[in-house]
Amino acid sequence: MNILSACDAISRARHDAVLVATMGAMNAFDRLGAGQPRINSVPLMGGAPSIGLGIALAQSAHKVIVVDGDASLLMQLGSLVTVAGQQPRNFYHFVIHNGTQFTGLSNLPLAGDSHLDFTQMAEAAGYRRVHRHDDLEVFSEALPGLLAEPGPTLVELVVESDAPVFGPDHPQQDWADLQFTRMGDEASKLANWLLRK
Amino acid sequence: MNDTTFHIPASSYLEALRRNGVDYFITVPDWVQLALHTRIEQGVAGIHQVTCCNEDQALSVSAGLRIGGRNPIVAIQNQGLFACVNSLRAIGLDAKIPIVFLIGQFGREFANFGLDPGQSRRSMVRYLEPLLDAMSVSHWRLEREQDLRFVDEAFAFALEHKRPAALLVGAPTGWN
Repeated sequence: MNILSACDAISRARHDAVLVATMGAMNAFDRLGAGQPRINSVPLMGGAPSIGLGIALAQSAHKVIVVDGDASLLMQLGSLVTVAGQQPRNFYHFVIHNGTQFTGLSNLPLAGDSHLDFTQMAEAAGYRRVHRHDDLEVFSEALPGLLAEPGPTLVELVVESDAPVFGPDHPQQDWADLQFTRMGDEASKLANWLLRK
Repeated sequence: MNDTTFHIPASSYLEALRRNGVDYFITVPDWVQLALHTRIEQGVAGIHQVTCCNEDQALSVSAGLRIGGRNPIVAIQNQGLFACVNSLRAIGLDAKIPIVFLIGQFGREFANFGLDPGQSRRSMVRYLEPLLDAMSVSHWRLEREQDLRFVDEAFAFALEHKRPAALLVGAPTGWN
């Protein structure tokens, strides 16, 4: 399973759930053309689960799907506790676990990755359900049932990293302004979408 | 100097929150606001509490609630503001999501009450307003009970301008 196929499976199963993504998952959902209701935590590693929690509490009739990164979640590991403390039944937290930072760009190793198990962390924090998948077919089959269960749920998705592209023949380019402005634009659009419902 | 002048009652804070339609109290608990925290812990109709592990999470939860149509306030202390500068930059300034803070001036010496916090001998007190100024975050001091009118002003400012607004709790909230 790679990040694009994992996000594609989530995209197919989400229906009108609010999607809160970050980093690699954000780029994958962009490539997949995932639309409203959606917001991305960018450039803000670690913010996705807490933004998702706020939306889930404010709009309990809507499911909220957070697609986090492993490095991002490590930056705000306490967010597992903050989420679990509220026990939002409409909250589904997917973590893309590829063991790298700047995945597909430079693939720097993640801190302490050889020992990491996000499902155990989430379970210990108090999530109602945890799942771990590394096979696309099995994950895709399980997904509708998993989203039918009450949360808070954490799903660790073990994926292969895309090959790095940066190097002497392909140095970094400037970022597009969109990377720095999109969260605000998306917040306005998502608020309008939610409050029209 | 009568120190009790500066200990604005928790009940008066609560009235100011109610007046402004606050429905979520998002917090990493603050020593300066202990009386207000305790009052809200006891249960206040219409105000839900979300306790977070750190201030980054408090800002982000507040943003999600605001996107979802709620009216939260974030109660933290000055050390916490120092800890969440990047989230404040991303959510409050770049993404233009209104965040209203109650920030306790933890460490402020009682002898400084009624004086300029910039004259405090303690760095965490002294640096707060310059940091907010550097980030262009508007702020108001809550020093005496009549200053609670600034709560209304901060909410109006944040919502109108889509910017953060910080209310600085200058002395321990009163247990009445």
